[in-house]
Amino acid sequence: MSRDKKIRILIAKPGLDGHDRGAKVVARALSNAGMEVIYSGLHQTADQIVNTAMDEDVDAIGVSVLSGAHNTVFARIMFLLQEKEMSEVVVVGGGSIPKKDWPGLYSKGVARIFPPGTDTNQIVDYIQNVVNK
Amino acid sequence: MADNLHDSHNNRLFNPEALAKIARQKEEWSGTEYSAKPERLGRFTTLSGLPIEALYTPLNVAELDYLDHLGFPGEEPFIRGVHRNMYRGRTWTQRQLAGFGPAEETNKRYKFLLEAGANGINGVFDYPTLRGYDSNDPRAYADAGRGGVAIDTIEDMTALFDGIPIDKVSTSLVTCQPVCNITVQSMYFANAQARGVALDQLQGTSQNDFLMETAVTIAPEVLPPKASFKLSCDAIEYCSKNAKQWNPISFAGYNYREAGCNAIQEIGFVIAYAMACCEEMLKRGLGIDDFAPRLSFFFSGQSDFFEEIAKYRAARRLWARLLKGRYDPKNPRSLILRFHVQTAGVALTAQQPLNNIARSAYHALSAVLGGAQSVHVDGYDEALCTPTELSSLTALRTQQILQLETRVTHTVDPLAGSYFLESLTNQLELKITDLLDEIDGLGGIVKAVQDGWVHRQISDSAYEHQLAVDTGEIPLVGVNCFQMSEETCPVDLFEVPETLAVQEAKLKSIRASRNARAAGKALDNIARACESDGNLMEVLVESVKARVSEGEITEVLKKCYGTWNPPLF
Repeated sequence: MSRDKKIRILIAKPGLDGHDRGAKVVARALSNAGMEVIYSGLHQTADQIVNTAMDEDVDAIGVSVLSGAHNTVFARIMFLLQEKEMSEVVVVGGGSIPKKDWPGLYSKGVARIFPPGTDTNQIVDYIQNVVNK
Repeated sequence: MADNLHDSHNNRLFNPEALAKIARQKEEWSGTEYSAKPERLGRFTTLSGLPIEALYTPLNVAELDYLDHLGFPGEEPFIRGVHRNMYRGRTWTQRQLAGFGPAEETNKRYKFLLEAGANGINGVFDYPTLRGYDSNDPRAYADAGRGGVAIDTIEDMTALFDGIPIDKVSTSLVTCQPVCNITVQSMYFANAQARGVALDQLQGTSQNDFLMETAVTIAPEVLPPKASFKLSCDAIEYCSKNAKQWNPISFAGYNYREAGCNAIQEIGFVIAYAMACCEEMLKRGLGIDDFAPRLSFFFSGQSDFFEEIAKYRAARRLWARLLKGRYDPKNPRSLILRFHVQTAGVALTAQQPLNNIARSAYHALSAVLGGAQSVHVDGYDEALCTPTELSSLTALRTQQILQLETRVTHTVDPLAGSYFLESLTNQLELKITDLLDEIDGLGGIVKAVQDGWVHRQISDSAYEHQLAVDTGEIPLVGVNCFQMSEETCPVDLFEVPETLAVQEAKLKSIRASRNARAAGKALDNIARACESDGNLMEVLVESVKARVSEGEITEVLKKCYGTWNPPLF
């Protein structure tokens, strides 16, 4: 059940969206659950996010988008991850991302979307299970 | 039990014998357990953690002095309302937020809302605009037109208000960050001048909140706190001289609340910031009465019904007492805390979105019972998308039903005298005062921001709240109780119209057709004003007429003032 190495996860805020409450709360919950969390801060480009993920050798990236720009932003991130042969990095997302957009995101390789109101324990459990596979 | 800040012995309402008798009989009543059901919770508290008793009696407000602690509306301490007859004379301004895509699109929504009965404009700006970037800035690629309307040059401002009677309608410009406000408000003013409307005729409000830029939604490469504070104060100073009906700042407690702080912090941060502004204006040589009457406030309408009402009343009384005590203004209007309420977005859910109509209605009701001057009700789709026409309309109708059907507006401050409400108001005022003392001890709000203290307060509160929701301690219908395993979204979602391509074409055309020399000179003038510490709004109201873009202006500001990378937590 537990790994020797701590799970490393980047919590990222792409674009100029300024809503960071959820990202910071999730970052803290994951950290309290024993993961190594890197929080990117606001205003990250897709390139910056993927480069940070590479530099920090993360197991997963959590992307938070509350601007409505999720389709554009995730597409860019997933493309870059593939380009850099980082497709084993698990990508999850959160924010104001309506359910109707989830299939499109999943088809691009996003593992899971957590809508507003998701219990943070659920996110912790999911990351722990999917990264340990 | 200490329940009042200012202990006055003169005109207490309750006589000591009556209180003693009540105390004895309450003691007896507490002993009669036979009809009491076991309590549902171990502790009953407000959302900010203040304990709530089973029953409130005159004992909870034993020292209540009507004249000193409550008084009359329109008079010190203004707790009962800022105007003599409040909504009996005039309803609160019903202004629903609107903003998305290019200006031409938002203009249609403004008109739609005004025709549906809104009596004010409430304009939001997209993420690039809020941060001072043009729509086609590489950083803005996914965000142009999102979260608000895209404003790049004065031509967008002209299109935004085309056909809107800006000389008659009150306009709120939700220019959260001072870096945005200094340009966008200047464009609004320049546009007004071009339309032949004198600035002194304009009624409205700008948000212009430096805490938004530096402590909430903190981003890399923003202006340093001192520069952001300066821009904010430049706007206040400019308006105090040139646009006397304009509220040049709206201390945005709403945003700190949405970021996670509680009711006590919401008011505490706001008042600390407002006092810092007062000090700065006085330093600049203005008299307190030159600007204080136009300072305005912006609060959240959250879910704890009575705490919110108590919060608004405590804020009014505390502000009046602080200003009076510190500055003794001659103009009574300098003591008045006027505020806009936006019902809390963060309290609304993505699950079962129609439930949000009920939530927002309660939020709006508490705002009105708390004496708000202006209200925006969030749409039921708040957690899902930018509001559609239908959700905006439903929100507006919520206000109209509240105003016209419930009759809560038929008397002023109807809940005054409630033992519970007055006790809660007193407690909140004490807690807020403690927080203000703490901020003072840290060296003031600007320093507290620079040191990351404000960020940590907000983060901590946000996390505690989430834990309480996770455990169910704070119930959220549809989220941690009464969930539905299969949900189909019952509402249509909004799609933001194409913006980047539209704005890019406009910028290209403007740069090709504008007078290049005039534009260059305009930007130079801005740089020189920065260096000489001049009032930037004065310069910008002229500069924007040369059709320089917001991005170009921001670049000059950042070159002059440098940038700041705020602490991450």
